[in-house]
Amino acid sequence: MNTKYTRSILISVLILVVIGTVMVYSSTALMSMREHGSGFNFLWKHLYTVCIGTAVMLFLSRTDYRKYRSVVYVLLGVSFVLLILVFVPGVGISANGARRWLRLWPTTFQPSELVKVVMVIFLADYMDKNLDRMRDFRYGIAIPAGLMLFFQIIILRQPDFGAVMSLGILTFGLLILGGARLRHIGSLVLLALPAVYMLIMTSSYRSKRLLCFLDPWKDPQGCGFQLVQSFIAFGNGSYWGLGLGGSKQKLYFLPEAHTDFIFSLIGEELGLVGAMFVIAVFVWLFLKGFQVSMRTSDPFSYFLTLGMTMLIGVQAIINIAVSTGLMPTKGLPLPFISYGGSALLINMAAAGILMNIAKNGDVASVHSPDPLYVKGANRGALQRAGRAHSWSHRLR
Amino acid sequence: MINNKKRRGKTERAETRKLWDENPVKIPLQKSRKRAVVLVTVILFCFAAIFLRLINLMVVDHDKLSQRAAQQYIKEKVLTPQRGVIWDRRMRELATNIETDSLFAVPTQIKDTRTLSSEIGPIIKVSTREIDGILSKKKKKAFAWLARRMDLDTSRKLSQLKERFNEGEIGFVKEPKRCYPKGEIASHILGFSNIDDHGIAGLELVYNDYLKGEVESVTVGVDAHGRSLARDIKEAMPGNNIILTIDEGLQYIVERELSAAMEQWHAKAVTAIMMDPMTGEILALANRPTYDPNYPAASGPEYKRNRAITDIYEPGSTMKSILACAALEEKVVSLRNMFDVSKGTITVGGKTIHDVHKHEILSFQEVIQKSSNVGAVKIGQRLGAEKYYKYIKKFGFGDKTGIDFPGEVKGIARNVKSWSGTSLAAMSIGQEIGMTPLQMLRAYSAIANGGSLMKPYILSDIISPSGKAIKKVVPVVERRVISRATSDKMKEILKTVVEEGGTAEQASIRGNLVAGKTGTAQIFDPKIGRYSREKFASSFVGFVPADNPRIALIVVVFEPKGATYGGVVAAPVFKNIIEHTFAYLDVPMEKDENRIVLVSTAE
Repeated sequence: MNTKYTRSILISVLILVVIGTVMVYSSTALMSMREHGSGFNFLWKHLYTVCIGTAVMLFLSRTDYRKYRSVVYVLLGVSFVLLILVFVPGVGISANGARRWLRLWPTTFQPSELVKVVMVIFLADYMDKNLDRMRDFRYGIAIPAGLMLFFQIIILRQPDFGAVMSLGILTFGLLILGGARLRHIGSLVLLALPAVYMLIMTSSYRSKRLLCFLDPWKDPQGCGFQLVQSFIAFGNGSYWGLGLGGSKQKLYFLPEAHTDFIFSLIGEELGLVGAMFVIAVFVWLFLKGFQVSMRTSDPFSYFLTLGMTMLIGVQAIINIAVSTGLMPTKGLPLPFISYGGSALLINMAAAGILMNIAKNGDVASVHSPDPLYVKGANRGALQRAGRAHSWSHRLR
Repeated sequence: MINNKKRRGKTERAETRKLWDENPVKIPLQKSRKRAVVLVTVILFCFAAIFLRLINLMVVDHDKLSQRAAQQYIKEKVLTPQRGVIWDRRMRELATNIETDSLFAVPTQIKDTRTLSSEIGPIIKVSTREIDGILSKKKKKAFAWLARRMDLDTSRKLSQLKERFNEGEIGFVKEPKRCYPKGEIASHILGFSNIDDHGIAGLELVYNDYLKGEVESVTVGVDAHGRSLARDIKEAMPGNNIILTIDEGLQYIVERELSAAMEQWHAKAVTAIMMDPMTGEILALANRPTYDPNYPAASGPEYKRNRAITDIYEPGSTMKSILACAALEEKVVSLRNMFDVSKGTITVGGKTIHDVHKHEILSFQEVIQKSSNVGAVKIGQRLGAEKYYKYIKKFGFGDKTGIDFPGEVKGIARNVKSWSGTSLAAMSIGQEIGMTPLQMLRAYSAIANGGSLMKPYILSDIISPSGKAIKKVVPVVERRVISRATSDKMKEILKTVVEEGGTAEQASIRGNLVAGKTGTAQIFDPKIGRYSREKFASSFVGFVPADNPRIALIVVVFEPKGATYGGVVAAPVFKNIIEHTFAYLDVPMEKDENRIVLVSTAE
């Protein structure tokens, strides 16, 4: 594969990061001025993450992504430990009634973001190994979904409903791609529905959120406030927007204007044109990822590419759908754009991995002529396949 | 080299494809690719849905939403104007404004009413239940006052507490508060204003329309917390400033001496007015008991009454000067006329009037000097009721002086037609007639200035905030009451009052002679239906320097204990005030023995 895709991915990510940095400054300058005495407080922190994120992205784009296969269980273990550490007082930080962050000088880290990427790596490796057994309920659904549920339950304790949901969509999306039977997944979803219903209805906070999502104009000063303010931001933006820095919604009208609702601010300041441009860049990035996946040489690369692409695309869709009132409010940042260290870092890492796949994903292996015999990772599947089809003579 | 690399890539790729085709897991992956295409399509549909939604929000609903946006970005803001400043005649501030904090609550934002009221209540000294009541009444409102114009200590305590509440639950607004920096000084003149900056007593009430300024409401851009975005909001047009005829220094002297007199005589009340007899300008006006206009609620109405113009009293012997003026002006007597008062009593209409000290035969001048009641009655009889009444009215008794002050009373000067047989005699010695201390002072000022009755006034100028003169008050001569000749004669007579028996050392400071008259009147007690034997109004009214009067002063002590005579009770107060006034005005004093001496004279 030539470097065309690598460059495309790099450029689209950088475009989004630059837009994000500008918008983070635009949305926080006034708030920062009032609360910290300097308009640049949030900008510096964001730029700090951008620098680290860029370094990580470039490093990972030069790191052979196949190496992750050997450490996938280590990564799972680390994710688990970090998730648990969040609940340890002193190490974990709570804010706004949630414990999601780890103290990491000079900033904080959100392990639930790491879990998403690790889950994608794990599933790519797992499905590669069990490709022939994916139609089996036990291997196709029970084991991977069980692991997912395990992480989800921990994350739900923080609580971080947005991460739980995106992890679920990501896992099931990949399992469908991996060949799990739709009948299994369908029945599982049907089974999960009552549980989700209970989860929403037993928490007055969640049911209220759902009701407010259905009709935010009923209580525009109360629970519908955020959504109504987001609509107003979009509506005021019209075609060309109010101009960069011209937002009035950021004057405390629109809560979370620099994180979850930054897309509303883009709509307000840059108009329909600006918002569509951002969406176009996401679509482009997404299609590039898809194209890369179609040119990969082996299932692991294939699934990993699709997983990383979906990770970015699904989160972007959820975030934008929430801010336009198409989905109930969930605290999920817009990849590459929203303020917030961990998500930006992890998403840039994912982009770095994508870039590396784009670079050498179609080359089976420099060391081995057998694309499926990469560092012995796929031996089991081939052996099973050989048994089933008596194709063992094809093993060279 | 490049070619080589390219070729190698090409062969590698071909090899890979071949291997991939031979891959045993090909079949599931081909299925997966189909699914991937479906997934990509679904995701692209999602993006398309978002696109449509954006069109809907940003183009279709644009008008509706931007209208709503425009509504929430602006707020009607009422600008509280600064109330005008009140200055004394030398531009010293008597009433001004200070910036204070007012506390408000945002009931819609408050989560825990009980904690809020129990924490804030003790600091702003409002009961917890009362705050709960306010908050529950305005539950749906976004604004409720909790405490207006708090003092510095309270607002400091509250701002420490404020951090414990959520953003937007409570807040402060800066409001100007009326402040009387000199405290009790001139309190009865100034009056006070209420919490809404509306004058409700004294000059604050009379000139409220000038002082209050324009309450303006402007539209300002605000953020979501209602904070204004503009850095320099236009200030409300402040009220006009006022300059008084009062001199703070003189006012202070008068206030201090009244306090001393109040303490010394355990009086019910004391009043003094100082006036420029030539112009009618009030230089000082004070009453005891008094109050602090910064805390008007702390004192009852008794303390706030401006007795100098709202209370009537029977003047007693000070009225004899008016009688003498009338007699001289009507030429029914001359200075050399003699009156036999050796009996010490005179009976008129069945009532006997006594002299305090027995005298033999007194000249007209001595009747006034020694304040002989019998002599006064005889002068009155010679003058006649009709003519006396004419002068009573001429001197303005029974009519308001027209001073720019609320609550002035007319006094009681009954029409001559309704006089009884004893009325003329009683009025000759200053009973059966009621007046305010101001009316009496004005009458003496007429004597002092050569016979013109002046309209007293307390407001000198009204100046707009930009310094433009809006109103300038000039002295008004109401009417000529007596001729200059009579005035001169009266001055001579009144000068003798302060000389002991007319022969004592002069009460002068380098020729600054005092002319004045004592008065001791019984107070009519409505409870027992006759004049009280214990309650007196002791007064002294006069002017200095006698020959070129600059200051007229009246001191009235209501119900003094221990002594009653005006010469004993009120005259020393008068003397002290004048002494300090001269020092204050830099009128040079000579030797000690030349100080003003006021002695008790017979009533």
